[in-house]
Amino acid sequence: MQENELMSERKADTLLKICSLLMTSGANTSRIFVHLKRFSDLIKVDAQVFIDHKAFIITLLDNETQQKTTQIRRLPGHGINFAVLSALSRAGLKAKTENWTFEQIDAEVDRIAGLKHYPRIVILIAVSFSGAGFCNLFGGDIVNMLIAFFATMGGLFVRQEAVKRKFNPYVSVLFGAFVAASLASSTSVLLNHTDIHLAIATSVLFLIPGVPLINSVTDILDGYIITGSVRFINGFVFVLAIALALFMVMYLFSIQNL
Amino acid sequence: MILDITIVEKVIWSGIAALGFGILFNIPRRVILPVFLLGGIAGFLKFFALTNGSGVVLASLFAASFVGFASIPYARQKQTSPFLLSIPSVIPMIPGYFGYKMLLGITQIAVLGESQNEVETMLSITHNGLNMIFILISLSVGVSLPWLIFKDKALKVIRLKKKGDLV
Repeated sequence: MQENELMSERKADTLLKICSLLMTSGANTSRIFVHLKRFSDLIKVDAQVFIDHKAFIITLLDNETQQKTTQIRRLPGHGINFAVLSALSRAGLKAKTENWTFEQIDAEVDRIAGLKHYPRIVILIAVSFSGAGFCNLFGGDIVNMLIAFFATMGGLFVRQEAVKRKFNPYVSVLFGAFVAASLASSTSVLLNHTDIHLAIATSVLFLIPGVPLINSVTDILDGYIITGSVRFINGFVFVLAIALALFMVMYLFSIQNL
Repeated sequence: MILDITIVEKVIWSGIAALGFGILFNIPRRVILPVFLLGGIAGFLKFFALTNGSGVVLASLFAASFVGFASIPYARQKQTSPFLLSIPSVIPMIPGYFGYKMLLGITQIAVLGESQNEVETMLSITHNGLNMIFILISLSVGVSLPWLIFKDKALKVIRLKKKGDLV
């Protein structure tokens, strides 16, 4: 009896680990349910989950032993990581076709949780190029693009440092946006370049919380109104932080209109 | 339609913008090229729709629904989930610009107090806010349009060809 109890505790723990990885890496709610169904079928349990932005509650019934377990897990901070999503969906399919045991699934989930990001310098350069790209799309010339490139790089660097030092996520974005916008405006002034607005407006675009905002609408479409609203408000506060930083920079440099 | 150099330039830069976000979101290495291509095509379609007189909301819907449909066969070929390709490709079209323009207008009214052109500011707040919400809805609806129309029937997504090579 004791063994059965321990086993279903472990199963609940693994399922919660999967849910928490999906939620923090930026999956929308219906995707979380699809994965949960797939994995809970594989380890032969019937799982019911309550999903929230910051915690999960799971109750599962072990189909083999009729053991019931309930667990709650708090989620760590969110950080979008699509490699985790991809690896989890492939792991689910592979486990289904190859009939993995619970131990194998558990080991694979632990491996996926440790997946690495790209090297920091690669991220910095790629995102800076995308800042320059935005500047081009908004109609900037080559000088504007260069300004946006370096402003984005500085802003992202500051934001990464702030995240590493465990600042509040909204405050980290505020710092990043402030540095990016002040770099953009000061270099524009120094180079005596007229289109100062363009560089400022595009140098902060990399901070826009695209994934939470898109997920909020898809969640609401799927009927998960509460998680959808939570995601929207979360994304909106990030945009608010950016706007606040821009407001401060515009006040400091006495820029009239963006 | 004139295929001049500016269009090619815009396509390439939209692709790079999408790719930058992809790298920031840590996409697996084998979907780097697909994200670049889909992002570029999405940028082209949006630009094409805009130059042919459609508004920015409809242009976004057009581009995002193309990405939504194109990502399914492409994702099957690359053995991954379609969302992994479609979300980074449409992220550059997220209306962040309208979002903080709206909030800047609000801060102007709330913090700076009275000024002569308050009516204009209110109008721009409404305009930018509505634009932001509707573009956001069109992007999400566009990306998930295949699922909304066909449900799950035709869309058995991934089939693993090779063993190993997870991620």
